[in-house]
Amino acid sequence: MTSIDEFRTRARRWLEQHAKPFDESADYDMEGSSVPLEESKRFQKALWEAGFAGITWPKEYGGQGRGAEELIAFSEEAADFELPTGPFVIGLGMPGPTILELGTEEQKRRYLPPMLRGEEIWCQLFSEPGAGSDVASLQTTATRTENGWVINGQKVWTSGAQYSDFGAIIARTDPTLPKHKGITMFVVDMHHPGVTVRPLVVATGQAPFNEVFFDNVEVPADAVIGEVDKGWDAAVVMLRNERVAIGAGGRARSNPLSYDSLLELARARGAHTDTAVRRRLALLYARESALTTYGRVLHEETTAGLQIGARGSAAKLAGAELSLWAADLAQDILGGDVVLGGADVERVAAAIVGAPGGATAGGTNEIQRNIIGERVLGLAKDPGVDRNTPFNQLKLSR
Amino acid sequence: MSLIFTDDQKSLAQTVKRFVADRTPLPKVREVIAGDQAYDQKIWAQLAGDLGLAGLTVPEEYGGAGATHADLSAALRELGAGLVPSPLVACLLAAGTLLALDDEPVKRELLPQLAEGGIVGTLAVSEPGNRQWIPASPATSALHAGSGITLSGVKEAVLNGAEADVLLVQAAGPDGAGVYLVRGSAEGLTVTRNEALDPTRSVATVTFDGTPAVLVAGDAAAALDRAADLANLAIASEQAGAMLACLTMTTEYAKIRYTFGQPIGAYQGVKHKLADMYTTWALCDAALREATRAADEEPEKLGAAAAAARALVSPGYVTAAKNTMLLHGGIGFTWEHDAHFFYKNAIAGNVLAGDADYQLDRLAGKLGV
Repeated sequence: MTSIDEFRTRARRWLEQHAKPFDESADYDMEGSSVPLEESKRFQKALWEAGFAGITWPKEYGGQGRGAEELIAFSEEAADFELPTGPFVIGLGMPGPTILELGTEEQKRRYLPPMLRGEEIWCQLFSEPGAGSDVASLQTTATRTENGWVINGQKVWTSGAQYSDFGAIIARTDPTLPKHKGITMFVVDMHHPGVTVRPLVVATGQAPFNEVFFDNVEVPADAVIGEVDKGWDAAVVMLRNERVAIGAGGRARSNPLSYDSLLELARARGAHTDTAVRRRLALLYARESALTTYGRVLHEETTAGLQIGARGSAAKLAGAELSLWAADLAQDILGGDVVLGGADVERVAAAIVGAPGGATAGGTNEIQRNIIGERVLGLAKDPGVDRNTPFNQLKLSR
Repeated sequence: MSLIFTDDQKSLAQTVKRFVADRTPLPKVREVIAGDQAYDQKIWAQLAGDLGLAGLTVPEEYGGAGATHADLSAALRELGAGLVPSPLVACLLAAGTLLALDDEPVKRELLPQLAEGGIVGTLAVSEPGNRQWIPASPATSALHAGSGITLSGVKEAVLNGAEADVLLVQAAGPDGAGVYLVRGSAEGLTVTRNEALDPTRSVATVTFDGTPAVLVAGDAAAALDRAADLANLAIASEQAGAMLACLTMTTEYAKIRYTFGQPIGAYQGVKHKLADMYTTWALCDAALREATRAADEEPEKLGAAAAAARALVSPGYVTAAKNTMLLHGGIGFTWEHDAHFFYKNAIAGNVLAGDADYQLDRLAGKLGV
């Protein structure tokens, strides 16, 4: 047995003892889980103690110092279980890797280990009401004080803000520079009295995101991630990690629009014998498998020291397109039942309604296409009339 | 388990790529298809002999190199990118079918010759009026009379049928469907090369009229099922290479062609189409890597993986080739430009050895749906 196989066996055994097998009948919930936060924290801690958190992160910051193969092996085994790790996905997927890449030694030692142990939860504070696709036009300000900075403004689409201890925020630190130049990334304490979090109800009726208001929130000088006025570079690093994280979602049965789920739905209704449905299910399998493999190829290339650049955007785009396509198939499998409700319908219907959200979250499909065109294929950039104009002279959405 | 190319595969791909660029670039391909030969004999001899591509995956005991399917796929991608006319895929199908059968004397006779490119072999399965690439019950019949066997019937879309020295033919015999060996020189064999849409690929209609044949011993159904997997691997490999050629060609054009003061690639109408072409290619490429990995490491998963790859790559290539014509504008619609050759190759390749519906039905079957 190779060390990977041993690792996989150990993971499987641990999961069988500590995690709940996936429950098909459970309600689909965009918010991730209805598990109490304390239980999630206990689970994350146990996961870390068993050596399955931060699998590819360096040991000195609490990680396991292993390779992508182990990470993939663990993810594959974990697909059969319902892990209550939702609150940690953002932190470990985005701010974590960004701090790992750009943070100071002090920041890495201070923030990464508690993040892995589930003791501190993180959120990401980028989007604003007037800055969605064009995040760099953000209007939240950070003004220098004697001891650091003071932040004012509003963020939106923030997952997990209601229970987060820290946030990675980007704010404008010099409005006289062109919009990409005068931005800085900070660590912000979400428990500061000037921080107000309000739930944001979306199309599905659930509130998986928040609006977050900053009213004179002070942060110390050493809260800067990367360099002052170079926050856009840090944001690009974080968004790249986000796209890989969003795009690489595999054939988890927890997704009501996956091949496994829709095959089961079709079988339950006898629709799988219909030639057209059967072919579309086969195509769903093909597309989903290809996306999973593509994620693995990117992981393997990263491990082999190759640059994947902006190719995560292709995974993100493909994943979003696949969900929308699968949502259409789900409607056709349900037929008239889609309007009727009922236990198995509600779960799928919520996912159908939720699918467009995936094509917007983390950058719309159109933005991903711009990124692929410009940064992967090297096509000419959009003229970008605002690129060299000082930020305080631009027309903005408010 | 690895999905990224090994150094050997990269080096083989480089060698084939250089060969294509030096010996058989597209202007040369145009000359070949303007003539009356299906392919250039000298190029084929070099592909099979010097580069060893015909015998790459044939085991060493039968005169091949015993290399992996991933190796072969890397080479086929480059041939596909250059639209190189050759009987390679036909020969691979013939060798693959024989390897999956149990007729040791026939294997000992034919495989070494196929492996070195000494003879051209092909597989004849499709029949008129039947949309299944491999008919469940073929209309072509094998009459076992006395010591001899004769075939009667018609096979369509036979790859390199007109150039084949040996044909492996699916026909209904007294014990069900079997695979029969017919020599290209046999009596009662009429081969008509089709005026095909895709001039880079030679296909023929083959008529058997009391044609002498030999039953090749072994499990015919299993062997033909294997042949379908190998066809999917080979065709998807060529098409993935051709798709990348289309993407590269069109991306380059979008950088140098100016309208309204800007390169056309700056416009989202062009940029987004190219981004979609890239994304489709990336997924097709991944599906193909998984299929060749399965062929080499987990053969029980090959059927589904190869059909899945084919179900994505073939339609993906049609779209890529179509967009190559469209995004090139007027020049892309001229005979002088190469875009139409890719478009025709894509359309023909989409239905070769089973169309998209056939592949999806096959995939659903392999998945147990």
